[in-house]
Amino acid sequence: MIKFINDLNLKKQADELGVKIWFAPSFLFLMMGIITMIAMTATYYISKNYDSPEVLAIAECVVTAVIFIIGNSIIHEVEQIARLNKMKSEFVSIASHQLRTPLSAIRWETEILLSKFAVGLNEKQRETIESISQTGQQMARLVNDLLDVARIDQGRFVLKKEKVNLTDITWEVIKNVLPLAQAGKVRIIFEEKNPAWVIGDDDKLKLAIENLLSNAIKYTLGKGIAEVSFSKKDGFYIFSVKDDGAGIPESQQKKIFEKFFRSDNALKNNTAGTGLGLYITKNIVEQSGGKVWFQSEENKGSVFNFSIPVYSQNT
Amino acid sequence: MGHECEKNMTKILIIEDEATLRKTMADYLAAEKFEVFEAADGETGLALAKKEIPDLILLDIILPKKNGYEVLEELKIGEKTRKIPVILLTNLESPEDIEKAFEKGAVTYLIKSDYRLEDIVKKIKETLKM
Repeated sequence: MIKFINDLNLKKQADELGVKIWFAPSFLFLMMGIITMIAMTATYYISKNYDSPEVLAIAECVVTAVIFIIGNSIIHEVEQIARLNKMKSEFVSIASHQLRTPLSAIRWETEILLSKFAVGLNEKQRETIESISQTGQQMARLVNDLLDVARIDQGRFVLKKEKVNLTDITWEVIKNVLPLAQAGKVRIIFEEKNPAWVIGDDDKLKLAIENLLSNAIKYTLGKGIAEVSFSKKDGFYIFSVKDDGAGIPESQQKKIFEKFFRSDNALKNNTAGTGLGLYITKNIVEQSGGKVWFQSEENKGSVFNFSIPVYSQNT
Repeated sequence: MGHECEKNMTKILIIEDEATLRKTMADYLAAEKFEVFEAADGETGLALAKKEIPDLILLDIILPKKNGYEVLEELKIGEKTRKIPVILLTNLESPEDIEKAFEKGAVTYLIKSDYRLEDIVKKIKETLKM
């Protein structure tokens, strides 16, 4: 039983670090412990049966050598893992930077084509260029999401802790997603006018809200409503967005916050998405001291909520 | 390198090594009636800044010959150049990069792929209180 539990933990660590189980640091430590015990026991028996100090000294040297060799292997493995991790984060940074350069070019050049400085385009040409521009923006969002996920995975996702007006940033996000809502014939309802002061990172909270709101819009097939509201409870503001869209099948609800997870009905309806939005949102909210949860029923709709600490003078 | 000159046009210096991006930005800003100067590397950018004393500098970080941070540092030391507002326009982004930019005296830090040219012009006008 104990061996079984130990095996599970070792396998999990090995999988997480991407190494074979006998190279996992935990396994190597375990081996070192076992070998040390065997060596100590052997030394005891040797010293009991052999009086000469030379034999004892040799035995001690052998034990020390073995411990040294195993210790070295452990350090070597840990160094490897750390080096690979650094390479991974450098790769993500470099790849994102390199991807962003052509994406900026696409964005700006299509902007110039569609702007007041360009004349002589017919309707069909405008539409095509607009479509190129949207696709470029979609890719830019994916690159940003990938960067965020890489930072979350490495514990480098740093959030500011400032006084933020949740009402203001919600209105800003609504303004940004309005074109998406209008295209999808989804009406956004939000009536909050009073400031709602919370402690958090304004940019990251905007991202979290945008993920939830754009999900509500995207997963509403045909006309619908996305209703945003706030409530206050136990020192937290609770942000809720309710939609009457496709909902999430019960069998898939457990996985909804996992990286790259897309539910079957989302995939079936070809809704565009990366499967990263909710993973990032969950991390933002939890790192801000709150929680995220939802209720959903397939074909009826969903309500997604997150809590965020209220700002008070004493904090 | 400058675009058409008119008295009292606001002078913008763009220091950016990617030719496509630099040209696109320069054309747009010229059409918005700014007087534009371009540099493709840090050293040329610094020399142009000292010669033309632009009203604002758009500075990339990854540059040949001198990177954006080094250029920023030297601009802030120069007597004539230290008051020029610098907007860092880059695709590098990590909390460390952003903090470093502000520490060295950048007015603001914009990620190129997140901003339209129209928004960049808005930021320029905001910074120069136009």
